[in-house]
Amino acid sequence: MKLTKSLLSAALIALLSIGMAQAGEVLDSIMAKKTIMVATDANWPPQSFINDKNVMDGFDVDVAREIARRLGVEIEFITPSWDIITAGNWNGRWDMHVGSMTPTKVRAKKLAFPAVYYYTPAAVAVHKSSKISSVTALSGKKVGTGTGTTFELYLQGDLAIDAAGAPKFDYQISNPEIKSYETSTIALDDLRLGDGVRLDGVVSSLPVFLEAIENGYPIKVVGDPIFYEPLAVTIDLGDAELNDKLKEIISWMRKDGTLTKISKKWYGVDYATTD
Amino acid sequence: MIQDTVTEELLLRKPRFVFIIFALACIGFIIIDPSQSAVGHFLAPVIGDPAESGFHGRFVTSFTLALLFVLNLIAISLLPAFRYQVIVVWIELAVLFLAFFYSFDLSFTFIRSKIGFMITQGIFTTLYVSAISIAIAFVIAIIGAVAKLSSNGFAFAIASFYTSFFRGLPLLMQVYLIYLGFPQLGFVIDAVPAGIIALSLCYGAYMTEIFRAGIMSIDEGQWEGSRALGFKFGLTMRKIILPQSIPLIIPPTGNQFIAMLKDSSLVSVIGVWELMFLARTLGNKTFNHMEMLITAAMLYWMMTMVLELIQSRIERKYRKKQKR
Repeated sequence: MKLTKSLLSAALIALLSIGMAQAGEVLDSIMAKKTIMVATDANWPPQSFINDKNVMDGFDVDVAREIARRLGVEIEFITPSWDIITAGNWNGRWDMHVGSMTPTKVRAKKLAFPAVYYYTPAAVAVHKSSKISSVTALSGKKVGTGTGTTFELYLQGDLAIDAAGAPKFDYQISNPEIKSYETSTIALDDLRLGDGVRLDGVVSSLPVFLEAIENGYPIKVVGDPIFYEPLAVTIDLGDAELNDKLKEIISWMRKDGTLTKISKKWYGVDYATTD
Repeated sequence: MIQDTVTEELLLRKPRFVFIIFALACIGFIIIDPSQSAVGHFLAPVIGDPAESGFHGRFVTSFTLALLFVLNLIAISLLPAFRYQVIVVWIELAVLFLAFFYSFDLSFTFIRSKIGFMITQGIFTTLYVSAISIAIAFVIAIIGAVAKLSSNGFAFAIASFYTSFFRGLPLLMQVYLIYLGFPQLGFVIDAVPAGIIALSLCYGAYMTEIFRAGIMSIDEGQWEGSRALGFKFGLTMRKIILPQSIPLIIPPTGNQFIAMLKDSSLVSVIGVWELMFLARTLGNKTFNHMEMLITAAMLYWMMTMVLELIQSRIERKYRKKQKR
């Protein structure tokens, strides 16, 4: 018995010591390891997804790679689920998140947002055969969206964007019956079943809809974008140096046109500004 | 069930029973309305254009299908051996299953391009996470069972608290609690170790009960004899009780492993690239989710089939041992 007990505790200690948090500043540890660990979502094409060669690819991934290149370090990706990322307290599991996160007042309590790197229009889509032709017509209807997203907050009338330069918006859908899904692609799978079968409409980002339409989904986008989401690079609280460094890199990438170039590569349009 | 020599007339030889089955099948098919399906098109010479055949078409196709169904049942019942019946029914169900998936209009080129990665990355991760977890759970279960059977109130309290807690929470919640909770204590663990710890603790709790039952099933005389010979507690356990209870414990442990293989899909939420994670993500870019989900489902099924085969071998081996 003694032997098995000590074996067990040894095994547990070995397991626990894998990935013990490095003390000290995150930026220092990135530079010391010569590697930046970046969290992103694997379920969010075209921002971030697993490509034909089974590696991470997409707009966010390209931005992250460019940030790493300008820091002069290697990059590694990790793909925890969205709610684990937004929970904060990363404890050095990953150093940065480049995954199209909107800086909101609530999230700012848990996370820091060094810089906004692009803006996506949030839009509304309905089934092709739907008679709905304006955003306001979805009031009181069954509307699907991703859980924990800004789109869900918008539908709940509770969206407070915490970033300079974000355009103002109105809540155009009143009293929707909100159906929250793990990702908005699953909401689209329900929408494609037919008009009103499970959903009357979906709120998500415009690029996601355009991608779905290109892949043969029987849906259409209704009206103008309902709001512009500023999307920021995210880090854990408490490292001002890393914060400043990322702010500097993003403004450098915006000035020399790199962000515009990556945006055009993935979306065909320039989302680096709202103009 | 036990094979006996009492024979009864087969139900399928009774005309009334056959007729009832036929009528039920007919009603069932009429409700589903197969007139637009391939069968309807095949019967087009009789019913005309399937789309415009109305109730006539619906009735004729249903009647034909019900007739085929009943004839098939009778044909199978005429097969000489039990084994042949099983094989034929399996094949028929498999064909129906495949036809069902085929009707989804899946992209097989996409599946072919991804299946290699799903095996090398997905199955590999699923298997090694489960294998390590079951090994740790095995050790926990031995300790837990001994503690639960001991007369030491302290050990019993800890062990029963542990089994009660970990059997009382959903495994998904344990995965979250361990992954998010340990860092609050200062241990930052990666996703794979966190998943392994969660699976080991949860299955360790269930297996503690299995082990306890296995140990308790050993005759009291064994224990008394060993003590009478002057063996201490540890020695009695190691040399007398456990060797006899292991044959009783191994088969249910195999079942636990098969269950764990499927439950390991829960660690996909913390970003471990195992089979379930890949099933959810690989098809996302091109909106081929259905393809990936079905492929992963088939892979899980094949894995469990192989394991069940091994499991039945193990059970047979230990049953033989006991008979001797």
